[in-house]
Amino acid sequence: MTDLKTDLPDSKSEELPSTDYETLDARVDRRAFIARMGALGAAGVALAQLPPVPARAAGYSGSSLPKVAVRPEVFADPTEATIAEATTLIARKQLKPSELTEAYLERIRLYDTDYWQAYYTVLADESRAIAAKLDRAYKPVGLLHGVSVPVKDNFYTKNVLTSAQSLIFADFVPDVDASAVARIKAAGGIVLGKLQMGPLAGGRPRNPATGEVTTRNAWSPDDPGPSPSGSSGGSGCCTAARLATCSLGTQTGGSITGPGQSNGLTALKPTHGLCSVFGVIPLTITRDHIGPLARDAMDAAIVTSVIAGPAPEDLRTLNLPRLPNLIGAATPVVWKGRVAPRWRLKVGVPAGFADGTSATALARTAMLDVLADIGYEIVPVTLPDEYVLLNGGAFNVSSTERGEMDYQYLREDVRLFGDRLTGWVSALFIDGPTANKGLRCRQRAYDLAYSELWTQCDVIFSTTGFDALGFPLCTLPIGFAPNAAGIELPISTTLGGPSFGEEKILSVIAAFQAATNYHLRRPPNPTIGLARAGDPRVPRIRMNARSVDAEIEATALA
Amino acid sequence: MAEPTTPTDAELDEYILFTLGMLGIDISVLPVLDPDALVDQSDVLSACRNRIRQNLQVLEFELDPQYHLATYYASPQAAWTARRSK
Repeated sequence: MTDLKTDLPDSKSEELPSTDYETLDARVDRRAFIARMGALGAAGVALAQLPPVPARAAGYSGSSLPKVAVRPEVFADPTEATIAEATTLIARKQLKPSELTEAYLERIRLYDTDYWQAYYTVLADESRAIAAKLDRAYKPVGLLHGVSVPVKDNFYTKNVLTSAQSLIFADFVPDVDASAVARIKAAGGIVLGKLQMGPLAGGRPRNPATGEVTTRNAWSPDDPGPSPSGSSGGSGCCTAARLATCSLGTQTGGSITGPGQSNGLTALKPTHGLCSVFGVIPLTITRDHIGPLARDAMDAAIVTSVIAGPAPEDLRTLNLPRLPNLIGAATPVVWKGRVAPRWRLKVGVPAGFADGTSATALARTAMLDVLADIGYEIVPVTLPDEYVLLNGGAFNVSSTERGEMDYQYLREDVRLFGDRLTGWVSALFIDGPTANKGLRCRQRAYDLAYSELWTQCDVIFSTTGFDALGFPLCTLPIGFAPNAAGIELPISTTLGGPSFGEEKILSVIAAFQAATNYHLRRPPNPTIGLARAGDPRVPRIRMNARSVDAEIEATALA
Repeated sequence: MAEPTTPTDAELDEYILFTLGMLGIDISVLPVLDPDALVDQSDVLSACRNRIRQNLQVLEFELDPQYHLATYYASPQAAWTARRSK
């Protein structure tokens, strides 16, 4: 656990930032909470004294392409590059989008079909054509100029099969792009393909008709045993295995953070509403999120800056505060040769988080030591009992939405849902009063978070309630350890913050990554000729409703 | 105040199948009990029974109706209400 970096890149700020402004979350949610309390006469706060809410504007706040120091290994293999490194090289004319695209297509050809199986559809010809156009561009089109960002197969892609790996949508070809897909393209990104996923966004990727697993964990290319997690398992494997620079996934209950953790990535689930989910096949519309599965905090910030912001086609994204400068937040601060906090934050640690002597516990302890050494205040945090209760399974009434939206498919043939059926049929038995009560409890839980949780800390290593309440989360690798079969797998954790607290989360992770190397390790390539998919010597793993439900529950709690 | 009754699994299964029938949803196309199947009727009935039994826990939780409104989108709503309360 002494994997500390000493060769800090030269791209970081050499000045401590101004502390005379608040992060976006402080301007929005504390104000909303206090306003609610004031309106109810409980807090007695003078509303006129509250700080103004930023005016609504388009999402991306105008940071330029980050210029970063490019690591030597990138020059030998461009698939090693982060987005920031790749766009830096492309802007300097040291790398062409077509060269980067071909490098990824070659890795996909060599390794994906028979081993990792991250892709559901590879759009090779289309990507080559776009890359050739980008080669000829006089100046960068946008933040993702020439970078490959494939998407999970539940994102609408115009004229391209969008199945959500489900029998229901087995032939569905949309005539529009999802908001996020359109924005990636507009920013010069290349949607290299569609990625495997758990059918209907649940569990690890698998064949919806047989339950046989497909995608492997990026760190286990020769063994399908270790799960890439779900449901954005293809997205997680893809980014980590260098089959694209970054990818998009979706999350309703841990489906970005789960694969982010399992594959050792920096995967960000932004605040609900920050990014349009228009054009994503819904699972549970009031909990569905999209976000990047990236290699570091800067890449997560870049992609989120592209896909965030108001979208007329998704009312939830409207009238929200202007997106802050996430790229700035993800730029580490170096002060007198040492990594320093961008904001002096309290990092919350729930009871038991780093207890014991397991490899995970030791990695967590070491991570907390690094954060403390940087200058963060590590504080023990108690999750309010009522908050935990209200975020438990009984109070999750959101699934009633899928029972309503997919009712016609249930009537058509329940077998279309495969091993995901139980979650849809049981949703029909959440009665109206219970559903309404559950939604009122959601507000109660949100208020408890602000009265009893965010008063203890600024960010926290916990995910409890974050999907239902829409709080942002981001994963980070913090170590590695062998599993029982001797396969070295990442140890990761997830950091959460209050609504619109992406700046805080990214700044902490960026500081940690400036001081450590875990995010720079890459998985081994598959052993060509060994362990091909379909080889009778390779264990075939089948899932069913019971194992899928157990995996989903574990992912949501991770 | 009357106490809620505690239905047996068999009683709940009858209720579930009756309700599904009214909704036009046919789970008889699934095997009754087959560990090798992707999903069987037993899995579906078990999930439905669990959900029905959880409903009471939610309904019994006490909340002030003047204070806690039904909230679909908690985080966006916080921003929306902050704007309105200026």
